Amino acid sequence: MVSRILIANRGEIALRVLRACRTLGIEAVVAYSEADRTSLAALLADEAICIGPADARRSYLSAPAVISAALVTGCDAIHPGYGFLSEDDAFADAVRAHGLTFIGPSSQVLERFASKEEVRRLLAAHGLPTIPGSGLLGDEAQALDEAARVGYPVLVKPSAGGGGKGMRMVRSARELAAILPICRSEARAAFGDDALYLERWLEDNRHVEVQVAVDRYGHGVHLWERDCSIQRRHQKILEESPSPAMTAAGRRELAERAVKAVVAAGYENVGTLEFLVDSDGNAYFIEINCRIQVEHPVTEMLTGIDLVAMQIRIAAGEPLGFTQADVRQDGHAIEFRINAEDPAHDFRPGAGTIERLNTPGGPGVRFDSHAYTGYEVPPYYDSLLGKLIVWGPTREMAIARGKAALAELVIEGVTTNVAIHLALLESEPFVSGRFTTNLLDRVGAAAFLAAAERT
Amino acid sequence: MPDQQRPGDRSAAQRAEDHGGIARLADALVPALVARLATANLGEVEIREGDWHVRVRRPAGSGPRRERPHRATLPIVAAPSGPSASHSGSSADKSAGPRQEVAASPTVGMFKPGVPAGTRVRAGDRIATVDLLGIALDVVAPIDGLVVEVYPQAGDGVEYGEEIALVQGDPPTANPAGEG
Repeated sequence: MVSRILIANRGEIALRVLRACRTLGIEAVVAYSEADRTSLAALLADEAICIGPADARRSYLSAPAVISAALVTGCDAIHPGYGFLSEDDAFADAVRAHGLTFIGPSSQVLERFASKEEVRRLLAAHGLPTIPGSGLLGDEAQALDEAARVGYPVLVKPSAGGGGKGMRMVRSARELAAILPICRSEARAAFGDDALYLERWLEDNRHVEVQVAVDRYGHGVHLWERDCSIQRRHQKILEESPSPAMTAAGRRELAERAVKAVVAAGYENVGTLEFLVDSDGNAYFIEINCRIQVEHPVTEMLTGIDLVAMQIRIAAGEPLGFTQADVRQDGHAIEFRINAEDPAHDFRPGAGTIERLNTPGGPGVRFDSHAYTGYEVPPYYDSLLGKLIVWGPTREMAIARGKAALAELVIEGVTTNVAIHLALLESEPFVSGRFTTNLLDRVGAAAFLAAAERT
Repeated sequence: MPDQQRPGDRSAAQRAEDHGGIARLADALVPALVARLATANLGEVEIREGDWHVRVRRPAGSGPRRERPHRATLPIVAAPSGPSASHSGSSADKSAGPRQEVAASPTVGMFKPGVPAGTRVRAGDRIATVDLLGIALDVVAPIDGLVVEVYPQAGDGVEYGEEIALVQGDPPTANPAGEG
């Protein structure tokens, strides 16, 4: 059983976990860095403890500091949130070794699902389609043979990489031969490993992910999908469900295959399987996220399930307590990530004091945020200020509520990306549902903002 | 918020009113709070009276045991930029008397005592250690001087930056005996 949790994260997710603890009757201690002394989660927690300086490497990323904080505050579990230490199997193992419960998959499961290349092989063996690709590349002649087999255009990817770093797209054998040595030296510099592989490049794709939950007893359910195709520079800014790009049958089939594969592969706790979906509706598995995700509220709005509370209960060893037939998917939900960044200036991140804040309300409106009037947004961390989630019985109604809620949202003192969300909701590609992951980067945010001005 | 004003926006009449209020608080309220601070085992007393917001904090090291520094009150309930009077309960940290500095914890962990109060130390000397999962990290003296007080007890959990000990600097007039 878990009775007192150390929340080893910051911002809105620390607050979200705190709220889940409160509803479960669990005490919550917030671990914060010096820069987050006045963060809302630290102020509202049953107890708060400073674990290090603003530099995340010495606070939120320091496994010894986090575990030590849990021990001196009498906690019996640690919730890592997302990012930071949330998918670090060595950390999960150290937490267990100190007699504490890690809120997430066990270290063995995290280790098994850590390498992207291995996970793709593992889940392909359990029936998930993956993007056609090569094994690790040898010399130039062998690389060219592999590329011809995969089919141009191809994406050259570092095996040790992540987060879109070091990837290059090439359209011909000549380009590939020229770029290989550059990719190798870049990969060596960035990851200390120059191993490369190829993947077929999907020109116009969508990013669709399936939420799953599996208890320790091998009982798993899917909680449907989320469409995260609205991105800027490979980072999601708007997520919705159901995916407007897929048929009901297609969505059901993808979700059922996903949960079947991860249960068979021994996954545990909440997780998300990410897929690229091509213009013909074919889905290819790309990676799994072994943690709670930023966009989890989209799923909560449709299913009525508290994902963070469920994650804690699974980690505490409780069975799911429901079956797939109990999981509903009602209506349509959209999440807008409200970031302290300027869409008119290449999404440049900002910091400062929130001088005025008005949060939206009304039916089907939820605002998850750690912001308050007088809050100083520290410059050290990511720019997420909050998440506005709207729900409607239909996509049209969700869009209408989204516009109303975004218009009500007032944040003064720091520049936010609210304008780009309003512009998206007015744009034809978004309203029609016909868009791909490169929508914002191809057209440019400025063009969206200008178009919205004219309407 | 419409009633929110920056100090610079206030009219001369408002400022005069502020000064009157501050004087009234300083004469009547602050001595009462200081007295309460001295009798109760508190590190800090904070009250609100209308728009006024008064906090009296015991200077580090003058009390039996200070509160954990991080239990701040929600700033959203404080008068946003209204007048705020903050008075120190003693003049120990002002120009009078020798310099005092606090030795802070280098990490979050279990406190292990080192030297007792009354020990003379040089800047950089180890005063105590904080155990981070079995690794002892030093709490070091910030200045040359005398350890006046060590706050935590053996086995206490301490956080990063927590005040561990108060060191009183040697007086500038090279008096080797100090006052300890």
